[in-house]
Amino acid sequence: MKSMPSRGKLTNLKLKMHKKHFSSIKNISFIFFIFLFSVVTHGQDLSVPQRYVEDKANIIDASTENKLSGYLQELEQKTGAQMIVLTIDTTNNVPIEMYSIELATKWKLGQKGKDNGALIVVAKNDRAYRFEIGYGLEGILPDSYCGTLGRTFFVPNFRKGQFGEGIFQAVVVMIDKIAEENGIKITGMPDISKLRRTAERHKSPFSSLLFMFFILPFLLGGIFRRRMMVFPYHWGGYGGPRGFGSGGSGGFGGFGGFGGGMGGSFGGGGASGRW
Amino acid sequence: MKKLLPIIAIVVVIGIIIITWYVKGYNKVVALNENVKNSWSQVDTQLKRRYDLIPNLVETVKGYASHEKEIFEKLAEARRGYFSAGTIADKAKAATQIESFLSRLLAFREAYPDLKANESFLKLQDTLEGSENRISVERKRYNDSVKGLNTYIKSFFGRFFAAKVGVTEASYFEISEAEKEAPKVKF
Repeated sequence: MKSMPSRGKLTNLKLKMHKKHFSSIKNISFIFFIFLFSVVTHGQDLSVPQRYVEDKANIIDASTENKLSGYLQELEQKTGAQMIVLTIDTTNNVPIEMYSIELATKWKLGQKGKDNGALIVVAKNDRAYRFEIGYGLEGILPDSYCGTLGRTFFVPNFRKGQFGEGIFQAVVVMIDKIAEENGIKITGMPDISKLRRTAERHKSPFSSLLFMFFILPFLLGGIFRRRMMVFPYHWGGYGGPRGFGSGGSGGFGGFGGFGGGMGGSFGGGGASGRW
Repeated sequence: MKKLLPIIAIVVVIGIIIITWYVKGYNKVVALNENVKNSWSQVDTQLKRRYDLIPNLVETVKGYASHEKEIFEKLAEARRGYFSAGTIADKAKAATQIESFLSRLLAFREAYPDLKANESFLKLQDTLEGSENRISVERKRYNDSVKGLNTYIKSFFGRFFAAKVGVTEASYFEISEAEKEAPKVKF
């Protein structure tokens, strides 16, 4: 029974609970979950991310992929922030928001307590994308910023079929933001001040006001909540932090090898869009 | 006396087993109940956060559609309704109502093309969309925790421990049919 809460996750939204027939509903929801999850990951082994750039849809050229992996690896080594780029053909009719939160929660990207993980999902055939941002990065990459990144870099490039280019531009801006916040530099990163300006030209005083008054208190509330929290959501769920990854992250992983999530959690922050 | 020793030992062992079992069951109910409370407070935080965004959205849209007074008033009313609601069921109802108004408000971007090109409207839309998404994530976690609690306290021993702790079944944050269709802030 203990593991039911997390197993039933996907289905809870969909199935209305009838208390009287609870146990049968429970079984159905469990079976449904298995079914749904096998649909979600059909044909693509997504149990553990192996690389920083998981290009399952094969839309990013090798040199871009290598460059991005290098930056992302260095970012993790220097700041602990774990960001994964995932491209897939389709989510199989699962809303991309649901798909990405499930994966991000499963992968536990980011460090435990700091929750500095991020997942970028691009579903080629669905023409949909999503930025999933961990609790700890919501301040650096608020929803509206992610929305702008999508509209500025993803949509115009993706429409032209330039997936690698669009992903590269948006991701380096995100890396740069996180690096800047942590006071570090990523070696070999091209000068992206122009891209940053493009992304931030829309910055209105309004949005920073919005941040100060509404989002900041919320974030602080989140920190407070984590301190107060006696029991994590996933008790008995996925087997605790770092349930995968054979140990040594970095080092032996080779270039672009990802060592595994570090127990970060997500609350649905980020933005999604279509092209 | 020597004959009594094994009997005493057995009684003590059984006693320890019973106490351990009792403490475990009791603590489990307490833990499940705590989990429900925690996850509800997360839902509540997210809902409040959304309602804090409403005045900004209204202001931005007003600049383009000042004559659509009716919806602004209704939205403000529904928002007040949420804050005055006492029970979880009432809150869920008020939240559903607000969502339907919000989706109508966001649909204005089709009627007023200028709005669609306004970056601060788009940013607001992102924030609101993010807020909706967070709500659905937290709602799902809340419902999961309720399910955990309710299932346990309906079980044979769970019933007994629930009565001891004084915990009753928690109610789900139901998603109404109307909410399923209309208010999903998807673009």
